[in-house]
Amino acid sequence: MELIADRITKQYKNKIAVDRMSFTLTKGVTGLLGANGAGKTTLMRLLCGILAPDSGSVSCDGMSVGTEEYRDILGYLPQDFGFYPEFSGKDFLLYMSAVKGLTKKDAIRKTQELIELVGLRDSAGKKVRTYSGGMRQRLGIAQALLNDPQILIMDEPTAGLDPQERIRFRNLISGLGQNIIVLLSTHIVSDLEHIADRLMIMKDGQLLWQGNRSAGGEDLEAFYISKIGEKR
Amino acid sequence: MDNARIIRHLKEICRAPEPEKKKTFFQGLEARGLTSRRPEVINHGEFLLRQFFYVGKWVWLLTAVLLLCITGICYGNTENYPFALTPLLAVGILVETGRSFRWKMAELEYTARFSLRSVMLARMFLVGIVETAGLLVVIWVVRPWFSYSLSRVFLYMMVPYLAASLSGSVYERKNRSHSGLGSIIICFMSSGLFAAAPYCLSSLYEERFTFIWTVAFILLILCLFISVRRWICELEEPVWNL
Repeated sequence: MELIADRITKQYKNKIAVDRMSFTLTKGVTGLLGANGAGKTTLMRLLCGILAPDSGSVSCDGMSVGTEEYRDILGYLPQDFGFYPEFSGKDFLLYMSAVKGLTKKDAIRKTQELIELVGLRDSAGKKVRTYSGGMRQRLGIAQALLNDPQILIMDEPTAGLDPQERIRFRNLISGLGQNIIVLLSTHIVSDLEHIADRLMIMKDGQLLWQGNRSAGGEDLEAFYISKIGEKR
Repeated sequence: MDNARIIRHLKEICRAPEPEKKKTFFQGLEARGLTSRRPEVINHGEFLLRQFFYVGKWVWLLTAVLLLCITGICYGNTENYPFALTPLLAVGILVETGRSFRWKMAELEYTARFSLRSVMLARMFLVGIVETAGLLVVIWVVRPWFSYSLSRVFLYMMVPYLAASLSGSVYERKNRSHSGLGSIIICFMSSGLFAAAPYCLSSLYEERFTFIWTVAFILLILCLFISVRRWICELEEPVWNL
């Protein structure tokens, strides 16, 4: 399975958020690095079909990103998301299961599994509005996995997670990345150090560098800074 | 040879052969882990049914209270102004459509199999159908208290409701707001307009204008359909901020 972005561009009024980016994502974890405002979120929205590119195209094994078939294999965690106020953690996952088309039986089974996986068993029945930032983020990660996605796109997934939760998240993603396409965006280099197989570095809407994680050497942070500096 | 016999013969000639090694094929799929992917997906009917329980409870409450109020006011006053209350029913349906955006769920719903478009359509359909059904019951109940025929009471109730729904949908399409305040104001303004109309045009509810009311009803239904269709099409790409 391959997710192909071909010369995609997105412009907002006088700002080019994504500038003629081309790449191919395959099985494994790809880390998308870039400072705030580099265009990471816009790129992720383009890959999820939320935004249509001004030019270029995104497809996966011949499927366009706007199709139901594509959304069926997609798991997405947005940077900023909310919850209906009356929802408990479990209600939220059951609701997302319904929107993702899971049967009632599958929805209950997957909800239970994922609640355990993200460590929310004790608070699954509590209202989401009482959750901490980290708990909400874990719930967001759980909903992205409800439909056993083949493509998992996560925008700043580690935001709000404490160090222990970060480690648990890394382990989870490393396991998932063996079988599916995972794209993670972050501006924290250490988030990707141990889990990314490939890296993409963005600045001002442009793809500065892409390649294997190993090319970054031991000190990924220094490598990232050097690449960012090259453009100046 | 009659047609039935020809068809039977054709079916026999064109019968698909029994599948060979079907079991082996499926076992192979299983072995390669290809059947572990969720094969079953709910259909649109089941999706619609499940969405029913996710419509805001306040919408059902507001609908019930308004329908009771309309019935009560019609019982006490057989003037024409109780008809002007029906635009307020549209508040529920219009505010409900902005719920995903208000609670920042739109982006998540947009990337799910049934998509934000289906979620919004399902909610509009469910609330619309319940409100219309409720209004039809009210029309049937209040009809004996008026000197008008059933069809005229139906038109006098439905036209203001549809007018508010149409203007609200056009407003929401052009100025999507998280609070839905604009739609609420539009519904109240429509209500006020229909309440004041008999005082400006005293012959409005006379029988000779029934034809005009009928035309207005048909036109409103058509325009509402077109407006909702355009609204849903425009939802294909929600505009997100950077």
